[in-house]
Amino acid sequence: MRLKKYLVRALHRLQKGPGYTYKELLVWYCDNTNTHGPKRIIKEGPKKKFIWFFLTLLFASLVFWQWGILINTYLSYNVTSSLSIGFKTMKFPAVTVCNANPFKYSEVKPLLKELDRLIEAALERILQPGNSSDNVSPPLDLELWNQIPLVLIDEHDKDNPVILDIFESNQTAVGNETAMGYGTMENYTMGSKTTESYSTAAPAPGAENSTAPAAPANSTTEEKKYKLAVKLCSQQGSGNCTYRNFSSAAQAVSEWYVLQSTSILSKVPLHDRIRMGYQAEDMILACLYGAEPCNYKNFTQIYHPDHGNCYIFNWGMDEEALNSSNPGAEFGLKLILDISQQDYIPYLSSAAGARLMLHQQKSFPFLKDQGIYAMAGTETSIGVLVDELERMGYPYSDCTVNGSDVPVQNLYSQYNTSYSIQACLRSCFQNHMVEICGCGHYMFPLPEGVNYCNNEDFPGWAYCYSSLRSSIKQRQICIDSCKETCNDTQYKMTISMADWPSEASEDWIFHILSYERDMSTNVTLDRNGIIKLNIYFQEYNYRTISESAATTIVWLLSSLGGQFGFWMGGSVLCLIEFGEIIIDSLWITVIHLISWAKGLKQRRARARYPDAPPTGAELALPGRAPDGGGAGGGSHQPGLPARARASGASSRASSRASRARGPGTAPRARHATPQLRLPARAAPGHAEPRQRHGHRVTTGSCLC
Amino acid sequence: MRWYCLNTNTHGCRRIVVSRGRLRRLLWILLTLSAVGLILWQCAELLMNYYSASVSVTVQFQKLPFPAVTICNINPYKYSAMKEYLSELDKETKKALETFYGFSEGKSKVRRSVDDWNSTGSDFFQQIPLLKVEDFSRTATDLHSGQKRRVEGSVFHKDSSIVNSGDSNDIIGFQLCDANNSSECALYTFSSGVNAIQEWYKLHYMNIMAQIPLETKEKLSYSADDLILTCFFDGLSCDKRHFTRFHHPLHGNCYTFNSGENGTILSTSTGGSEYGLHVVLYIDEADYNPFLVTSTGAKIIVHDQNEYPFIEDIGTEIETAAATSIGMHFTRSRKLSKPYSDCTETGADIPVDNLYNKSYSLQICLHSCFQKAMVESCGCAQYAQPLPAGAEYCNYKKNPNWMYCYYRLHEKFVKEQLGCQQICKDACSFKEWALTTSIAQWPSAVSEDWMLRVLSWDKGQKLNNKKLNKTDLANLMVFYKDLNERFISENPANTLVILLSNFGGQLGLWMSCSVVCVIEIVEVFLIDSLSIVLRRQWQRAKKWWSHRQRGGTGTAQAGDLERQGHHNPVCLDEDLPTFTTALRLPLPQDSPLPRTPPPNYSTLRLETAFSEQLPDTLELGQH
Repeated sequence: MRLKKYLVRALHRLQKGPGYTYKELLVWYCDNTNTHGPKRIIKEGPKKKFIWFFLTLLFASLVFWQWGILINTYLSYNVTSSLSIGFKTMKFPAVTVCNANPFKYSEVKPLLKELDRLIEAALERILQPGNSSDNVSPPLDLELWNQIPLVLIDEHDKDNPVILDIFESNQTAVGNETAMGYGTMENYTMGSKTTESYSTAAPAPGAENSTAPAAPANSTTEEKKYKLAVKLCSQQGSGNCTYRNFSSAAQAVSEWYVLQSTSILSKVPLHDRIRMGYQAEDMILACLYGAEPCNYKNFTQIYHPDHGNCYIFNWGMDEEALNSSNPGAEFGLKLILDISQQDYIPYLSSAAGARLMLHQQKSFPFLKDQGIYAMAGTETSIGVLVDELERMGYPYSDCTVNGSDVPVQNLYSQYNTSYSIQACLRSCFQNHMVEICGCGHYMFPLPEGVNYCNNEDFPGWAYCYSSLRSSIKQRQICIDSCKETCNDTQYKMTISMADWPSEASEDWIFHILSYERDMSTNVTLDRNGIIKLNIYFQEYNYRTISESAATTIVWLLSSLGGQFGFWMGGSVLCLIEFGEIIIDSLWITVIHLISWAKGLKQRRARARYPDAPPTGAELALPGRAPDGGGAGGGSHQPGLPARARASGASSRASSRASRARGPGTAPRARHATPQLRLPARAAPGHAEPRQRHGHRVTTGSCLC
Repeated sequence: MRWYCLNTNTHGCRRIVVSRGRLRRLLWILLTLSAVGLILWQCAELLMNYYSASVSVTVQFQKLPFPAVTICNINPYKYSAMKEYLSELDKETKKALETFYGFSEGKSKVRRSVDDWNSTGSDFFQQIPLLKVEDFSRTATDLHSGQKRRVEGSVFHKDSSIVNSGDSNDIIGFQLCDANNSSECALYTFSSGVNAIQEWYKLHYMNIMAQIPLETKEKLSYSADDLILTCFFDGLSCDKRHFTRFHHPLHGNCYTFNSGENGTILSTSTGGSEYGLHVVLYIDEADYNPFLVTSTGAKIIVHDQNEYPFIEDIGTEIETAAATSIGMHFTRSRKLSKPYSDCTETGADIPVDNLYNKSYSLQICLHSCFQKAMVESCGCAQYAQPLPAGAEYCNYKKNPNWMYCYYRLHEKFVKEQLGCQQICKDACSFKEWALTTSIAQWPSAVSEDWMLRVLSWDKGQKLNNKKLNKTDLANLMVFYKDLNERFISENPANTLVILLSNFGGQLGLWMSCSVVCVIEIVEVFLIDSLSIVLRRQWQRAKKWWSHRQRGGTGTAQAGDLERQGHHNPVCLDEDLPTFTTALRLPLPQDSPLPRTPPPNYSTLRLETAFSEQLPDTLELGQH
């Protein structure tokens, strides 16, 4: 009972709203709110009232609509970029230099001897079909040949091409061959009008895969009669073979040679491969950084599968990265390299020169992607401009800071290099290769516990590799799973070349360089091998494109506030007011419900006991008026509660009384007493507090 | 006014009325006015900055469309095939070389031996001969006659600075005259005979070529088989069928890889040199025109499929006997068109017809504009650009005057007097491939032997067997350095929503005002004051009327009194307004009937919305 009393009191204390009916509440709210529109509604005449009501509604809906737009804008996480051009001491980029040729031919000759003899004999037969080359004294290693043979395709008869094996010289018509390479040859004959019908390895759905968009048919006049193709079989002797056609014999030969040599070299252990490559002291003849001399010891050696031994200057792995003090060729890196062109592997690399690349410290050099060539016998000057890009990560853009959130195992982490998209793509490919072919490709680092592919252990690897390589699906998976890095530095290069050394200076330069390297007076260098490189900052300022969020939470709030303020002059406080009113109206509902329930109960009780004592609620009812008065006089915000509530209470009470008057006559008197007392009690205090409230209303809205 | 100040939602106004003391009131008036000024200033600023744009750079890693790559031989037509057309011109050129520079012969001697040339030289060559100019005397020596003749008209120096400083006796040039009016001539001189002869040759060459129909010209130029020896794209073999022929007036047959002509555009999903386009070109150096082109190699241009390749303007030259590797980096930019910046989306709003069958670019517009001016003023079209409808190429037989006209026009164009540079606008969106070009020796010393043999075999299947020379070959690799696409776009920095929020923020900050306030101001200062004025007029009229009718003054006085009374409750000893006065005051003036006289308390009672409060209020008022 006591608890109930407390509850009821708490209830009443909470419900200190400015009125006991919805209308009162609304009117009070409209009058006292700091939002601009509602006030006008009540203060104007009937016609204007309607206009104001309409306007207020319109503005309110405008505000909500525009809030929607603003919040949407915020959630789209736009960024703005700012370009800053500054002037600071910059880190000199890491410079990787390699020879275009991976190994010294003199060193690898024993390994590749058989292969070279094979290709020479094959070329002999292809180029001079008439002369049968019987004079080849040592027998060729046909087993090696047969693992991945080259075949000649006779296309005199377009619909029925004949495949000629180069060494067995037995012509097999397509009909025979189909028995062996079933699906593939079918494919071949079917599509022989388009050149790259060559393979099932490259199933060509979609335009991006097939190199040949449907070709115009008018190309019959000078059709080639012979073509070279590489025959790739999934398993030795098994029927699953594809013919990889080439429009040019030169390409076919180099492709074939790469496949074969890869298989041979992958069996060689790493330290042997490093030994077979170019050594730093042989390659880097002179080095000058700014005014400071440097030598090959300042370079970090790294084994790169494409290019053998590569040397990186200023990689920043062990020591601090060098800062460049000044722009201009005088203050950059000057190198003299020797690529000794006579020692190139003839069939492996047809282009001669040095391959070099500028990259960030601690990143792996992907020379095939971003490397440039430097030509022998020239001086190549490379002016560098630094272009940095700094991006915001999630949710603004889909980039990764260090690659830890990319679902691909980074195989290049064994070099202790930082994450890059190229590393991710290659790792992704290698992982697929290991998964599908069972062995790793020689060009990429190996995951743990896997071996490189070679012909003996994995006879079908070439087939597997070339089907994987041309598979669009595999590429797409890798593209989807890899993310680019958030901070990206690009080195924009301006490359210019001049002949070097000049005819006049040639003699003494070669003499000195040979002497320094080989300690001999004989000239061991020539024009075909020597390269001079100048790498320097072109300008001394950097360009940074950095992203910043276009819409921050502060922006959002100020825009929301601006909208609300613009249309309705409102603020957060106004929202709170509104919320308060809603709570108040809820309370009114609750009270209504309670009193209704009470009334129902009482009526029932009265029906049973006509002379029942008043319930707690009824007893509490008189206390409400002083309560409300206290609130009005107190610090509570609502302006005119006391009077309004008092009158409201009285009117409500009287209306209820009048309602109650209907059924019973006995309780009427008892009810009437407190009700009648109410106005009387409130009356004396009326004038004074009301006056005060009046003040508060005006000053209150003034201060808002 | 007073009512407005008290009841308005703007803060300053109320303070003015409510404050006590003159100084304070003045202060508040000043503050309010300065706040209004600030608002106006800031809002003007906001409005002016409305059309600004912010730039965003997005980098996206994705599969990229491979651009179109157009490859041309530097030499436009096979010299051997062109012999019959050019024999006369060549003879003339050789003679000029002999005359002016003499291959060992003295100059004076050559001048004598000129006579027999006149019979072979056509009319045309006499018209525009090479001249040797003695600058100071302003006389020129004709190539044909050896006569000296006075040079009239203006002199154009192509290299004027060098002419003035150097030995000016040995200047070679040619004179272009207006055929109708021979006194108007322009003399073009060059400091170097090399330039002069090339320019002169080109002029005649264009004249000759303009008369040859297109089909013949295409046959005279290189076929795809001639030019492209091997082709490799994205790790797969390709051949001439992937190339689209495109005839360029100055470069002969060019071949565009991945032109998108048959609807598909190739794309790469892997960067790096292995996966790009890799071609070996056959440059038949022996068949070069010795006077027209003096360098050997090929020209390539990387462009979008919809773009016209302006090879002569932005082509990259590649060397023979070398492997040129071109790494690309793709950037796409988009600018906002009007009203943010002055660029055009499609070129449709530019009063120059696009003569090229490709999407708009500034270059296209300039060329089209020039061609249009050429057709208008010279009556025929210039050879190097496409034909506008209904025009034909200039040639000497039909338009004897065209060269003079062309050079005049070109001069004007370069000096921006044709207005083309003003008419043409930038395109709003463009794609750009930044190229990094590097060169390696190819084939290498040790691989040269087999490489040339195999390539000859490749070639030999098409032509008769002959061993290729490495200076006839060029190796070209075009690939994406990385698949990062940079997209630079401008976005409107302000939208209407943001502009309004900023307005709201400004209004709210300085005066806690909103649109409602603005409406109030309009209401009070326009409608209500208008109504007051009207009412006054009405009352005056009424007064005047009643005065006339009855001669009494009662009503007017009553009205005055009432107004007085209406002010009274507030003005009463400068006190803060009470709740009641604040509440009661608005009602009368607010009433939508403008001509009702200020209400007294009884009308108030009727009109007020607070019917329940009213009795109390009234009671209080009487208190």
